[in-house]
Amino acid sequence: MPVTKTRRSRHTGITLSRRAGMVFVLPALILFVIFILYPLVTALSYSLFDWTGIVRGDFSVLDNYVTIFTQLPYKDAIPNAFVHNILLFVGAMVFQNTIGLGLAVLLHRVRRFKRFFQTVYTLPYLVSPLVVGYLWSLMLSPLFGPVNAILKGVGLDALAQPWLGNPTTAIWVVVFVTAWQWVGFPVLLYGAALGGIPDEIDEAASLDGASSWQRFRDITGPLLLPAIGTVSVLTFIGAMEAFAIPYALGGSAGNPAGATDVLSLLFYRTAFESGSSNAIGTSSAIATLLFLFIFGVALLMTWLMRRAERRLY
Amino acid sequence: MTATTSRPVGKRLTLGSFLGSGFLWLYALIAIAPLVLMVLNSFRTMPEMAKSPLGLPLEPSLTSYQKAWITADFQTYFFNSIFVTVASVLLSTAVSLLAAYAFARTKSRIFTLLEGTFLSGLMLPVYLAILPLFFLLDSLGMVSNLWSLILVYAALGIPFSTFVLTGFFRQLPIELDEAAKLDGAGSFTTFLRVHLPLVRPAIATVIVFRFVPVWNDFFYPLILIRDQKAYTLPVGITRFFGEYQTDWATLFAGLTLATIPLVVLFLLATKQIVSGLTAGMSK
Amino acid sequence: MMRRALSLAAGVAGVALLLGGCAPSAPVNETAASSGDDVTLKVWSWRTEDIDAYNTIFDVFEKEHPGITVDFEAFQNTEYNQILTTGLAGSDGPDVPMVRAYGQLQPNIEAGQLDPIDDIVDGLDDIAPSVLAGAKGKADGKTYAVPLATQTLQMFYNKDIFKENGLEVPTTWDEFIALNDTLLEKGITPMALGVKDDWMMPIFADIVGSARYGGSAFEGEVLDGSKTFEDPDYVASLQIVADMKKYLTPDVVGVSYTDSQVQFTSGQAAQFPGGSFEIATFASQAPDLNIGSYQVPLPPDAVSPTPVSPAYADGNFAINSKSKNKEAAAELLNWLATPEFGQLVADDLNQFSAIPGVTYSNEVMQEAWDNYQKGEAPYLLLVDFRYGDPLGTAVLGPQIQKIFMGEQDAAGAATALQDGISQWFTPTP
Repeated sequence: MPVTKTRRSRHTGITLSRRAGMVFVLPALILFVIFILYPLVTALSYSLFDWTGIVRGDFSVLDNYVTIFTQLPYKDAIPNAFVHNILLFVGAMVFQNTIGLGLAVLLHRVRRFKRFFQTVYTLPYLVSPLVVGYLWSLMLSPLFGPVNAILKGVGLDALAQPWLGNPTTAIWVVVFVTAWQWVGFPVLLYGAALGGIPDEIDEAASLDGASSWQRFRDITGPLLLPAIGTVSVLTFIGAMEAFAIPYALGGSAGNPAGATDVLSLLFYRTAFESGSSNAIGTSSAIATLLFLFIFGVALLMTWLMRRAERRLY
Repeated sequence: MTATTSRPVGKRLTLGSFLGSGFLWLYALIAIAPLVLMVLNSFRTMPEMAKSPLGLPLEPSLTSYQKAWITADFQTYFFNSIFVTVASVLLSTAVSLLAAYAFARTKSRIFTLLEGTFLSGLMLPVYLAILPLFFLLDSLGMVSNLWSLILVYAALGIPFSTFVLTGFFRQLPIELDEAAKLDGAGSFTTFLRVHLPLVRPAIATVIVFRFVPVWNDFFYPLILIRDQKAYTLPVGITRFFGEYQTDWATLFAGLTLATIPLVVLFLLATKQIVSGLTAGMSK
Repeated sequence: MMRRALSLAAGVAGVALLLGGCAPSAPVNETAASSGDDVTLKVWSWRTEDIDAYNTIFDVFEKEHPGITVDFEAFQNTEYNQILTTGLAGSDGPDVPMVRAYGQLQPNIEAGQLDPIDDIVDGLDDIAPSVLAGAKGKADGKTYAVPLATQTLQMFYNKDIFKENGLEVPTTWDEFIALNDTLLEKGITPMALGVKDDWMMPIFADIVGSARYGGSAFEGEVLDGSKTFEDPDYVASLQIVADMKKYLTPDVVGVSYTDSQVQFTSGQAAQFPGGSFEIATFASQAPDLNIGSYQVPLPPDAVSPTPVSPAYADGNFAINSKSKNKEAAAELLNWLATPEFGQLVADDLNQFSAIPGVTYSNEVMQEAWDNYQKGEAPYLLLVDFRYGDPLGTAVLGPQIQKIFMGEQDAAGAATALQDGISQWFTPTP
């Protein structure tokens, strides 16, 4: 996703009348309203009612919200899952995006095999997250998985682990597998941003005797800031909505013992696997809070990003 | 490609660049090893795998592929997936192009508001709205109809696509429009003849980045498609998981088959994507 | 529909389908029902592994009931609940859905999605009350479905491994422990268990511990409030679970359910504590595998007088209250309650039918059935404690995982279980 720093004052003007503009927007607007906005608003309103199966009952104000903060299993499960979502975000920022940035910077200086590397790094992104999760859970199986077999084969028996069965390693496996799948994304984005920085700037600094780290810190780094901002916001949204990979690695219950539970899984369990007949009400309350949180933080991040950019340029 | 024309800065072979390329190769190995393993194991048999998890297919067997292709009815799923993915990506790209053009070429509060609303779609956990969506489509009599998937996916693609495309249209100098206007072209003709050709790299980017999630999505068809003849590949695969959960060779074969089309698409389009992204980032 | 491709009705339906493809708003389904006397019944199930068997079984029904075609559709087990939730709510749902039993059936009943069948189906009285309980509404006591099968939980073992090592089926607790110690000494994993999948844990707990806490007697006491799960006997049964850890693979917390199946079928483990639903799976995965089953002997201080096989009703067939073909659906349900169908369940599905009078030609099944007849008990958490949120099984599963990880003890797990179900459960003295 390109991050555009348009100089609006010079480039953008008005060539479309309001009416013509509306005609252009209309098809997209119709699709968006019918298939996204309407169902979403409806879903959020579900959280304010008491449900019996799929039959809507009385308006219950905030009862469902009270339930998810005061009753088992929610009052324990929500903080537990929330912490894991945050871990996924931090983990993705630290590993996926740093490695991605490193790879992109290295790739930028490489001539041969460039396209080959780009393609290989992006391959995991093309594979369905369900397949990725399934593949890795087989790879990490303590009985039949090659990962432990390799570790034992090279004499590192002590490192061989029940990776997905140990609560301290399990969530990190989720972080790692997510990073493995998504690393191509920052590589492509940062690569594109680097491609957009004129070489002359870098070369001039190089002639001035700046080391490559200095050049990165003082020139390339700041110029990458908008891209870094975009990647961070998208990573945050992705981490808060994480579903497919945790589901494929730990099942809907976030096995073992809730060690890989995340908010989307909790929503899924509540909506489709709980014994409560008010499942729709409770699950919609969880969904609404999740949405408000993502929305609020994403807006805040965007705002901070804009401010940082303005200060720099 | 821009990259080949821009000369890399460090030309001498230093320790740093040696370590650097070592890291590139190492990561390439990490990225590709599990996928290679998946392909290799699809040629082995189940008992072989249970005895030794690591191993080469010394006597490669194609039975798993036969099983996956024939018994799992993969060909039907393939056709459905291609139809749904192509149609929905084209539809969402088309409507997003129009909308993005309007956002870039108008200045009015209502359009800023609409642009923001579309953009907020990027942050919505949309799958949470599955129940109302199901009731809506059901009341329209569209459940089990591939068009329901196409419309839903097309709508889901709008936030991302307008976000990317609006940025591109904004970069095109306003003089273009003015020149076209002087030639007597209407706004739609200007859009079609002048702007569209210029944002081609962006279109490629949008298409590929929408193609991948739509092709891989299993959640919507799971709920919206009940007729086995209308299954898409990912739902076919979840069903396949149920039937062959302990027959790993067949599972791997199915997973490999499901992944190949995307890899081919990406190989064909890498150049377009990279130049599209670069163009978007550079201005 | 394809089966009757030559009939005019199908032709009309085909045109409708084509039109549906072009005009998104035109409905595609429900075309078959409108034509003549022929009725197509949509039957849904989560048994993807049984598709072929069900098609054979319903062929028998179709032959005896001309004019009714059964269209059997199976969805993956793990996604079935959500498919059914929306399926019963929408207009293109099944006529006859396979529904869950006991507590998991209640949301469908409370929402009015199923029709009561007490007056529609004959032969319900012949079904054992404990099995039929799985098909009843908790609030109104009406029957809403015909039970399909009984699952019993026992210890399966690899006969060849036992023979090669000169081992016998244990009849006392000491023999049971000695057996497992011997296997351990010989370097064979005594039991294959998928600890990574939480749902398997309460099953294991009841296989080794039900007799210790007292099976059916304890069920009565918990339900009337004279005992809770913090009772010393229940805690002791969880302690037995904890003590079994040394007989499992070293890294067992990372072993998934499917891994454990492969471990057993590939001969890498001697025993598999599991449900009778495994018999069919084992048979198709490893046809050469020689298996038998036994009830885990009475542990010291056991409350039950004899060893028991915990059991529960699994799978029910119901009538969707929105079905347009209720007459045909009733006809099908009546057939599903006959010994004829019961026998097909036994022969083709390798399941224990809910209908009495069925015989088992399969030796493994007969053996497991005989064991069950010797001592019955309810699979307590599934039968009685899935009527509210959180489910009893969903609380105990992770607790037992924690026991195996060394993060929880038996008493703590029992307390957590009691706290969880107290959220919704009130005893009725």
